[in-house]
Amino acid sequence: MPIVEFQNVSRVYTGGEHTLRALDRVNLTLDSGKFIVILGPSGAGKSTLLNLLGGLDSPSEGKIIVEGRDISTLSGDELAEYRAAAVGFVFQFYNLIPTLTVAENVALVREIVPDALPVDEILGEVGLFDHRNQFPAELSGGEQQRVSIARALAKNPKILLCDEPTGALDSETGAVVLKLLLSMAKRHGKTIVIVTHNQAIAKMADVVIRVKSGKIVSREEQAEPLGVDEVEW
Amino acid sequence: MLRKKLWRTFLLYKAQFLSMILMIAIGIGIFVGFNMEWVSIEENTGSFFEETGFADYRLISEEGFSGEEQEKIRDSAGIDAAARYAVFDVDVAGFGDDALSLSVTEDASVSGFLVLAGEAYDDESDDGIWLSDRYAAANDIAVGDTLTLDYQRLRFSGEVKGLVKAGEHLICVRDETQLMPDYDTFGFAYISPAFYERAAGVPFYPQIHIRSALTKNQITDLADDVLGRTVMVLTKDEVLSYAEAKGEAKEGKAMGSILPVLFLLIAVLTMVTTMHRLTAKEKPQIGTMKALGLKDRRITRHYTSYAFLIGLLGVGAGLGLGYYIAWYIMHPEGSMGTYLDMPDWTLRLPLFCVVILAAAEIALTLIGYGSVRRMLAGNAADALRPYAPKKMKPLRAEKTKLWRRLGFGARWNLRDVSRHKSRTLMSLFGVVGCTMIIIAALGMSDTMDAFLDLYYDKATLYDTRINLADDADGAASEAIAGSYGGDTSAAVSARLEDKAVSLEIYDTPGNLVRFPDEDDHFQPLGDDGAYVCLRLSRAFDLSPGDTFTLRPYGGDDVYTLKVAGLIRSVSENIVITPAYAEKLGLSYDIHSVYTALAKEEIRDDSAIASVQSKQTIIDSFDTFIDIMNVMVYILIAAAVVLGVVVLYNLGVMSYTERYREMATLKVVGFKDKKIGRLLIGQNMWISFLGLVLGIPLGVYVLGVLLDALAGEYEMKLAVTAQTCFLTAGLIVGMSLLVSVLVARKNRKIDMVEALKAGE
Ligand SMILES: Nc1ncnc2c1ncn2[C@@H]1O[C@H](COP(=O)(O)OP(=O)(O)O)[C@@H](O)[C@H]1O
Ligand SMILES: [Mg+2]
Repeated sequence: MPIVEFQNVSRVYTGGEHTLRALDRVNLTLDSGKFIVILGPSGAGKSTLLNLLGGLDSPSEGKIIVEGRDISTLSGDELAEYRAAAVGFVFQFYNLIPTLTVAENVALVREIVPDALPVDEILGEVGLFDHRNQFPAELSGGEQQRVSIARALAKNPKILLCDEPTGALDSETGAVVLKLLLSMAKRHGKTIVIVTHNQAIAKMADVVIRVKSGKIVSREEQAEPLGVDEVEW
Repeated sequence: MLRKKLWRTFLLYKAQFLSMILMIAIGIGIFVGFNMEWVSIEENTGSFFEETGFADYRLISEEGFSGEEQEKIRDSAGIDAAARYAVFDVDVAGFGDDALSLSVTEDASVSGFLVLAGEAYDDESDDGIWLSDRYAAANDIAVGDTLTLDYQRLRFSGEVKGLVKAGEHLICVRDETQLMPDYDTFGFAYISPAFYERAAGVPFYPQIHIRSALTKNQITDLADDVLGRTVMVLTKDEVLSYAEAKGEAKEGKAMGSILPVLFLLIAVLTMVTTMHRLTAKEKPQIGTMKALGLKDRRITRHYTSYAFLIGLLGVGAGLGLGYYIAWYIMHPEGSMGTYLDMPDWTLRLPLFCVVILAAAEIALTLIGYGSVRRMLAGNAADALRPYAPKKMKPLRAEKTKLWRRLGFGARWNLRDVSRHKSRTLMSLFGVVGCTMIIIAALGMSDTMDAFLDLYYDKATLYDTRINLADDADGAASEAIAGSYGGDTSAAVSARLEDKAVSLEIYDTPGNLVRFPDEDDHFQPLGDDGAYVCLRLSRAFDLSPGDTFTLRPYGGDDVYTLKVAGLIRSVSENIVITPAYAEKLGLSYDIHSVYTALAKEEIRDDSAIASVQSKQTIIDSFDTFIDIMNVMVYILIAAAVVLGVVVLYNLGVMSYTERYREMATLKVVGFKDKKIGRLLIGQNMWISFLGLVLGIPLGVYVLGVLLDALAGEYEMKLAVTAQTCFLTAGLIVGMSLLVSVLVARKNRKIDMVEALKAGE
């Protein structure tokens, strides 16, 4: 059953005389509970696609149906509700609030999601329980990204969107973070979409989508993806 | 290339640049405006007194002075000029109850006047009247008209030769009981000694006016010596026009030197923070320029020139605003113009204001310079690194139980506040400053109201005051007092050490006049001592139980009085009862009768000189209140505008600094309104704290202000609950308005953009 459906979605940037089609009439369906990897060169439109799906941005044309609801026409507040309830984000630059502790950064989702998961439990899962009272600046990059993952999961969303989550980390730390991200997503039964350059991850994906110049150039379903521990990082 | 960048940067930060310019303009404007006001009054009245030869001393004798005596005085050492002088109130025939204060001076260079229209003064003219131009205008009298002026049995018929203004009549009132000039019914005129002699036969001159640099004691000795008798000597400080003009300038100085300084402080301090933040934001650019090989000096010059330009525009606009404010408080068509009748209303920029203007420009440039130098410190690589706010450390408060109960919003705000201490302190300082100014300004008005209420509603319960004619005999006076069933009083001019004071005898069986003590309680007057007003008690260090001596003018008698109590009073006086007067051996000749009857019920009587309703006295106070209120309103309006600008500026700064955090919250799913509420919450807490600190500080400043005015008024500090609520309302409203303006920007947060870059 598809959880996400893009129907003829375009995102056009108009700046002065130039217009740029960051996404060009994209059609796409994603199934629930799957692990989807999006690959593509820089500037291909990957982030644009993810941002549209996450309700951070609205398409210039086309429809984006998530769980049967068209999110392309929602108002600002409705989009905020959608983001609160349906999606969890993990970004390249962690995007934690520097003035809140680790625990508070995760706990802040309780302000908007009534059935958020218990903070301590989630922190335990990402292995940061002992750091719960520290501030982000006191943690390493990998640890910060784990806080960010905990925050995304704490909302208990249907879909997890990760835009180059290891982009700012060295490859070793990146691998640890990715492993964690995937095992958590599997354990909690999430649909997870990761934008990455890391070819290794693609081997584990249920679906690999390649994007170029705003268009989807290929879509591969992998019948037997490798498990997290089978991949050579 | 750098010049191009200058303008682009201006455009980029236009809100902040504009707010800095505005803040400086308001700070400078208020400071310069209020100080120009009093300096202009001081200098304009000063030069007017100078031009019209205002006398330094007046010798007064009821027996009059002979020409011979005047010559002896004039020829004494240390006397620049001396002239016999007469002044008396005359009725203007055909103009209802109108009266003029008619003056004659034997030497037009002593206590003379300026001719503004018509013929120059001619001291030989035996029918020329030089009339007050204001009175002439109010009564449609023109040069060439004839007037008939009556004084008892004398009649002066003559032609209006010129329209004049005189230093003697800068404040043209009948006597101390009239507070405000009313040119419809009362003016002044000068005639020549020749005219006086023609009409009066033998001219009677009860005064000699003297211009001299000698001290009062020297003049007194000199007069004793030359004349061989004791006469009353008045310094110019004891003459109403001079004293009041000086008082007005002093009042303006008090208003100008306390609150406006606060404005300047707020403006400059906020400028420091803003300038620092702006250069901090420019730090990567500064680093790039440095890396490109630009010399530190050029970069410094470039960034310092922003501060210089902002300063120049702010100081320039402030100077303009200052002129406007000064004009608004004192211009001939305003309340001040009703009060003072002088020819020159030029606004004068005092030297110290020029110094302040220059100092402000230099200080602002230095602030800019200092901020860039801080960003330039180290090598190019250091400079390139973006400016990072301090690392977050747990607050000490976090160990408390209370902290654990705080919501996420409160924690976020509290940590933000502690992370950006200087910004928070500036906001707090801005709110505290505005609160202080508004409380002090409104409190000034409250204090005035309370004083008037005390004086006119509680202390004086009569409706009408009847002033008896100087030549009314005792029996006639008693008859009037008896028939209107009132309280009575008399006043005697006397010398306390070297100061002329009014000794007033009050007989108040009807309790129509009462005297408030320092705590505003009304105690009946006792018969065992004198009641001294607060100003005199302060000036001569008199407290209950002390004794002092009074020398009534016109004789050599010396009386020793005991202080029985202190009273709050409008004028500088000493009050005693007839019984105490009798004990002292002073005679009591009733001069005024106070009655509960309305003015209309008082019948004409040759023994009655004038009848005043209390209401007219109260009404004439309104002009004073108006002058004060203009200042109060300007201060409040400026405080609110400055507050809004300061808070908006800091709000935008805070908004920019938290932009990424807010974008993150938005991504997570917070609605704009919810983020807005968090922002507004922080501002409201700062405002609340500011109010709590600012209200008592404002009351304190009001106390300082009243102390500075103590020589003018004997007012007791009053701040009503209404004032506190109004202030709180203004501050909260201002803060809410700013918060909402800033929070509205939430909608424009571009989540995608904000998340692109790392910290
Ligand atoms: N705010 C914007 N304004 C104009 N063009 C944009 C904007 N954001 C992205 N683009 C352009 O859209 C295209 C796709 O960008 P993006 O989705 O970020 O690519 P990527 O695949 O690297 O994530 C790029 O060419 C980028 O320059
Ligand atoms: Mg991208």
